[in-house]
Amino acid sequence: MGLGAEEAKIRVEPVAKQDSDITEVAKGVLETLLTMMGVVASVVPQANPVAEEEEAATPINLDIKGDDLGILIGRRGQTLSCLQYIVRLIVGHQTEAWVPIIIDVEGYKQRRYETLRALAWRLAEQVKARGVPFTLEPMLAYERRIIHLALADHPDVTTESIGEGEARKVVIQPK
Amino acid sequence: MKELIEYIAKSIVNSPDDVVVTEETDEQGTVLKLQVADDDKGRVIGKQGRIAEAMRTLIRVKAAKTGTRASLEIV
Repeated sequence: MGLGAEEAKIRVEPVAKQDSDITEVAKGVLETLLTMMGVVASVVPQANPVAEEEEAATPINLDIKGDDLGILIGRRGQTLSCLQYIVRLIVGHQTEAWVPIIIDVEGYKQRRYETLRALAWRLAEQVKARGVPFTLEPMLAYERRIIHLALADHPDVTTESIGEGEARKVVIQPK
Repeated sequence: MKELIEYIAKSIVNSPDDVVVTEETDEQGTVLKLQVADDDKGRVIGKQGRIAEAMRTLIRVKAAKTGTRASLEIV
């Protein structure tokens, strides 16, 4: 400070859009889509994320709340996955920034996350005990990832995905 | 139904003014035809048709709500 002090170096990086602005944009896009789909529901930004993606950017989490929203989740969560994909495309186009947006319906993904982790551990024990590989049902990419991550440090089993596209599934194998 | 596809298409293309959606309904259900600028075709179809498929999934929700069927063609 004062005389003889070094000049302060200040680095200024332009910030195109604040995360909170993008959250508002994403919320608006999702609300518009839901209205046009004839779905009565409200969109609530969530602070607590489902660990779906490991990105440098913090994901924006939006939870859809309302009655009878099973139709939005669809078989194996496919409808929800499409809705999330379309929202990401629109928001990405509008803000010219790619921010991961995670959309949930009444905490469905959060519950699924816990169920899948518990399932992974239980099956790993079974595979270890029987010494026989176990193949799970086909799952979406982020759901397979939950299984892989849950067992990544397991001392007795390894995991891999087999099959293509919608039929891709995880196999748990003894080490 | 038409508004939903119109909104999505206009929001993801570079030439929103060229987006035209027509809707025909018969006893089979509703057929939506989406027309965009040539340069934007890839933007509404997507890699391996992923975007088109996602739009179809969303109109199916709308159709199910109203008890009808709906299909989407990109022309």
